[in-house]
Amino acid sequence: MNKKVLVIGLDCATGEIVFDRKEELPVLRELIDNSIYGNLRSADPPITIPAWMVMCTGKDPGKLGLYGFRHRKDYSYKDVWIATSYSIREKTIWDIIGEKDGQSCLVSIPPSYPPKPVNGNLISCFITPGDDKEYTYPADLRVELEEKFGPYIFDVVFRTDEKDKILKQTYQMTEQRFRVLNHLITKKPWDFFMFVEIGVDRVHHAFWRYMDPSHHLYEKGNPYENVIIDYYKRVDGLIGELLSNVDKDTTVLVVSDHGAKSMKGAFCINEWLIEQGDLVVKERPQSSISFDKVDVDWSRTKAWGWGGYYARIFLNVEERESQGIIKIEDYRKEREALIERLAAIKGPDGEEWNTKIIKPQKYFQELNGDYPDLMIYFDDLCWRSAGTLGHGTKYLLENDTGPDDAVHAQNGIYILYDPKNKTCLRKDANILDIAPTILDEMGLAVPEDMRGTIITKG
Amino acid sequence: MEKKFTDIAIPTDLYNKIEEKIKGTEFPSVASYVAKVVDDNLSKEEGTKDAFSKEDEEKVKDRLKALGYID
Repeated sequence: MNKKVLVIGLDCATGEIVFDRKEELPVLRELIDNSIYGNLRSADPPITIPAWMVMCTGKDPGKLGLYGFRHRKDYSYKDVWIATSYSIREKTIWDIIGEKDGQSCLVSIPPSYPPKPVNGNLISCFITPGDDKEYTYPADLRVELEEKFGPYIFDVVFRTDEKDKILKQTYQMTEQRFRVLNHLITKKPWDFFMFVEIGVDRVHHAFWRYMDPSHHLYEKGNPYENVIIDYYKRVDGLIGELLSNVDKDTTVLVVSDHGAKSMKGAFCINEWLIEQGDLVVKERPQSSISFDKVDVDWSRTKAWGWGGYYARIFLNVEERESQGIIKIEDYRKEREALIERLAAIKGPDGEEWNTKIIKPQKYFQELNGDYPDLMIYFDDLCWRSAGTLGHGTKYLLENDTGPDDAVHAQNGIYILYDPKNKTCLRKDANILDIAPTILDEMGLAVPEDMRGTIITKG
Repeated sequence: MEKKFTDIAIPTDLYNKIEEKIKGTEFPSVASYVAKVVDDNLSKEEGTKDAFSKEDEEKVKDRLKALGYID
């Protein structure tokens, strides 16, 4: 290995804070002022899973066969599988480093549960069911860590109105994570060290409305106005402490998997599909209910949708779905007609939306796994998708599954600090560029099937 | 340091068949072809292993719903 590389993953970190408010973040500012840095265009979809694995494999979601946290099982209407570490079949950066006998230390990179063997040490991520599970590799690392730091905190329950509690839990989680990181970074051998701090994402979702005057629920002078920037400042300080434990020749890469922006609301995709006649239910729900629990008349249904930060639409195709009604020869025609109607959806006050629609079969060079028939970003992701039914409206000003303030933005961030090659250059990059850039920094060959470009000054 | 290697025995017929098959492909040797195929298969098997018990999967799904990732 030429060099050691430390990757600081800040889930959801956005340039509007990291770059635009860098004067308030002295450690990150010092890195930025000596780095190549800029927006990092996330994957499609820009969701935590698959985005971190796109970054760590250099392969896009089509190749990985990952389109979010859940996927349909064999074109089933209701059965789903959840993406885990076992779902990653492409080589990761640490697999490649390990083949060259390089050692890695990996902390909470989604998805890393169940913990898979690595040449080094690993702690799993927030999809770990609980701290009573095996969550480290090697298994006895857990004992070592728990003796020193107590049970590992994977996540916070943030979608609750108890804002003070959320904030307290987030700080507890982050402070503990950095204590663990400082331990690992000084006590374990590593060539490659990477962690993901999920707390940045959680404070965005829980507190964005209190910070962003453009949010429809923003109130000037509210007591939580500075919560997000204060949290960033604390993380900045913790990064400073961590860097003080790192060899000065180490390359440091700060990255996020996607960005954040103000949520305008949630669009009830299945209510709309019922209204359009694409989805037929036996009884229209009168109160909020998960789509899984709705009695659908599949023999008359052409399409249905899933919620999340983006919508996945599925067509009910003959011979593919068990009760499919769209003939295979009509698939394209039906899908085009649906696209036209989806693209014409306007906001609750008749305002135009900048909706983006992706046809996976056209968009990805290689398409694996259980992909949807369409991927929809309502109003460029400003409106999330609600799959639930029974709201009596298509437009919700809050998230259907609890209070939420932020949605995902396609641009995350990166800061590439090479202490032997200092510069200050702003240049946008793509999430696919990260894996080749890390391998190149470490003096390892970049596999030909990685489509990203090594980030350089040129 | 480079990757470490060890020997395994495969039937000569199979070896000859693979040698023929990889002519003009990206595979420089029969060994590299066999390693790739076996590695792919092991990864696929791993992909179908259950990561969660039923109960844990429900717990994780509920959490993902609460976090806004699904539903």
